[in-house]
Amino acid sequence: MKSPASDSSSAACSKSRRHLWISIFIAALVFLLPHALLAHDIPNDVTVQAFVKPEGPKLHLLLRVPLNAMRDTEFPERGAGYLDLARVDASLREAAMVWIADAIEIDEDDIRLPNPQILEVRASFPSDKSFASYEDAYAHVTGPRLSNDVQVYWNQVMLDVLFEYPIHSDRSRFSIHPGLARLGLQVITALRFLPPDGVVRAFEFVGDPGLVRLDPQWYQAALNFVKLGFFHILDGTDHLLFLFCLVIPFRSLRKLIPVITAFTVAHSITLIASAYNLAPDFLWFPPLIETLIAMSIVYMALENIVGGIGVQRRWMITFGFGLVHGFGFSFALRQTMQFAGSHLLTSLLSFNIGVELGQLLVLVLLIPLLHAFFRYAVAERMGTIILSALVAHTGWHWMLDRGARLAQFRFAWPALTAAMLAAAMHWLMAMLIVVALMWYVAKRWPLKFPLGQGPSHDPLATSATQFHSVQQGLETETGGEI
Amino acid sequence: MKRNLYIGLVFSALIVALGVGSTVLEKRAAVEAAGVQAPRFEVDPMWPKPLPNHWLLGMTIGVSVDAQDHIWIIHRGGSLERMENYLAANPPASECCMAAPPVLEFDEEGNLIGHWGGPGQGYDWPASNHGITVDYKGNVWIGGNGRTAAVAPPTQAAALNESQPGSGPFNDNMVLKFTQDGKFLMQIGHPGQSKGSNDLENLKGPAKMFVDKDANELYVADGYGNHRVIVFDADTGKAKRYWGAYGHKPDDTSLGPYNPDAPPAPQFRNPVHCAEIANDGLLYVCDRVNDRIQVFKKDGTFVKETIIAKRTLGDGSVWDIAFSKDPQQKYIFLADGSNEKVYIILRDTLEILTSFGDGGRQPGEFYAVHSIATDSKGNIFTTETYRGQRVQKFVYKGMAPVTKKDQGVLWPKKAS
Repeated sequence: MKSPASDSSSAACSKSRRHLWISIFIAALVFLLPHALLAHDIPNDVTVQAFVKPEGPKLHLLLRVPLNAMRDTEFPERGAGYLDLARVDASLREAAMVWIADAIEIDEDDIRLPNPQILEVRASFPSDKSFASYEDAYAHVTGPRLSNDVQVYWNQVMLDVLFEYPIHSDRSRFSIHPGLARLGLQVITALRFLPPDGVVRAFEFVGDPGLVRLDPQWYQAALNFVKLGFFHILDGTDHLLFLFCLVIPFRSLRKLIPVITAFTVAHSITLIASAYNLAPDFLWFPPLIETLIAMSIVYMALENIVGGIGVQRRWMITFGFGLVHGFGFSFALRQTMQFAGSHLLTSLLSFNIGVELGQLLVLVLLIPLLHAFFRYAVAERMGTIILSALVAHTGWHWMLDRGARLAQFRFAWPALTAAMLAAAMHWLMAMLIVVALMWYVAKRWPLKFPLGQGPSHDPLATSATQFHSVQQGLETETGGEI
Repeated sequence: MKRNLYIGLVFSALIVALGVGSTVLEKRAAVEAAGVQAPRFEVDPMWPKPLPNHWLLGMTIGVSVDAQDHIWIIHRGGSLERMENYLAANPPASECCMAAPPVLEFDEEGNLIGHWGGPGQGYDWPASNHGITVDYKGNVWIGGNGRTAAVAPPTQAAALNESQPGSGPFNDNMVLKFTQDGKFLMQIGHPGQSKGSNDLENLKGPAKMFVDKDANELYVADGYGNHRVIVFDADTGKAKRYWGAYGHKPDDTSLGPYNPDAPPAPQFRNPVHCAEIANDGLLYVCDRVNDRIQVFKKDGTFVKETIIAKRTLGDGSVWDIAFSKDPQQKYIFLADGSNEKVYIILRDTLEILTSFGDGGRQPGEFYAVHSIATDSKGNIFTTETYRGQRVQKFVYKGMAPVTKKDQGVLWPKKAS
């Protein structure tokens, strides 16, 4: 029989041993954890390559993802951390299921497809080029595995996986929600959709783009782009400040209509031209446009401060700045044109409609606010000056910042090549045709605007005169001052 | 009415004239385009983004682009001037600056996303880093050209002479292999052990490496002290074969200084500065001071050579090459750190189509352009040694007819 003393001493002994083990365990954790974390760091940028191919009653989803993005899966290693290729398949399948299949939703005619089956997994060298085309990628993922004796470090390998989903028809309309953003700090998914009609459609998303319709109907594309345009204008502080400057002196929708219309027409022209690749693709072009946008804000604010602006003058200047802002919109739209499917023009026009709706919303909110401000807070002239000065200040700083960025580029004249001259002549021709059309319209319908001064004898001045007539008409209707 | 008719006629005449003119010019442009075309580039002055931690680059003597289009460079922190290292002094002598770690990894946008390097357990870090290559498995290879005296921080005089970083015999007789995280994997050769160009165990100032994925073989341009290309098994480091100029057995007999009017040298001069394999299996070797590229089969059979800027003396004209990223690799981009330009060469005929760059420190100019690499989008990256000490990006802007043999500095152009 053990004495209580010996009991207590053995208890104390086992307790201290337990403490020792706990201490060792904690020490091991402290020492090992940073390394473990280091080995499983979230990668900075991850590029996922994907193909979606509906074929008969099956849809194949073929993906390539870097293995270092699959953070909690343990991959069998050998030697100095090389992947044990003989034993790796089960881990690759597990990683493919947890990190990819569970994160991706594919819909057929808006009905979610069931979980896919993994047909094949492969570990590949990062330099493998077979994902350049679906055929090569398919042959690669169904072809021979890397030999077991290949030494390749575990986190420098790519995981290739072929999933199969059951579908009703390869002619259905498919959507995909690739929720792969958790793979890295920045995840770029390059996806190619290969419908049975043979027209390959390429997409590139950054992060999680939400549900993407791979082959949208025209109204789906239109709705999507109206939304994009609407939120873009609400999101773009510089466009909003420009709009604010336009509104301050003319706080009436009627008076603003010609100004806003000029802005809309102008930015539509450059936006559509950009979408059809007519804008310059030089590196300095976006910084130039950004600087000009800031300048447009400063100019408008200064004009407000100086005062005495007429609608006609503002209309023309807004038209010019609208051309610049259109390029600015096009930069925002560049990454999203892929969602237009086969409805490029519809989508562009819808984007413009969205921008317009956004502008209208802002106007509807701003006008009464400004009215109230000038009525109850500050006298109109002083208020205009104060508000415009605040805007000018912000615009001025933007202009300097963006100008400094632009100034890092140095310019040299391009060589005069035949191709360049031909392009210049095309632009000149287009401009002449527009001027000729304007001239013809002005001649053909000279009495459309009864309140005007009548057709001028100077044909090129006529359209401006007509506009003046419209403006006078508006003044008469609203009784406002300019 | 008559006046309107006249105006209408003038409009029509102008439009027709412009239409005819542009058609004629387009035809001429088509003829020009069907002639010689070459890739067109524009320097990106905004790349890379500023380094963190008041870090500076020293002589930047290697660049490589991996399969994810990450840009890897290696530089020599020891080549900075004392005043550039004030922050590293104990106590710090000022708020700025200090050398960045030797190996730096950038993403496509020019953000620094990784850094490591320097002496460590189990390997001999070079006294003077030279060349970096990311292989087809993603491993990182590093060479070196330090001499014994260069183990100590290089002097100003040594720092100014890239091909002679020290004054004693070449001590960096090894190449190192790491993972992308900087974990050491393998070393071939040992410091100070080289027995010359026929030694299978050691290198001598290895300048640049390339791993052939078909055979998993490492090709080393060897180098600053030896006169050969040597091939190793990339996993075991076992030497397999080597050869000198024209596929001859290499010979370390001094050739004397390069003479442009003498017959081509029968051996490589030092340094043998690059060894790159094209997709069709041809190996291109930079024989820097001999101003030539020699082309071989993988077994060392000599195929052809071309001389570039023959009158170039001193450091020579053929510093480093990179291939265009089309599957045929139609073009070679050759960095010439003596004449301060990059040549665009038709790989098939080795004919120079055009060149760009000039000496200077502005964007698009070069001072000792030392290394060159291309990414999957066709962009070019260059690094500069001596007092150039930077990495630059040249953005691929499509193909264009060749109008000038020497395009000069590729500053961004005004809109056409």
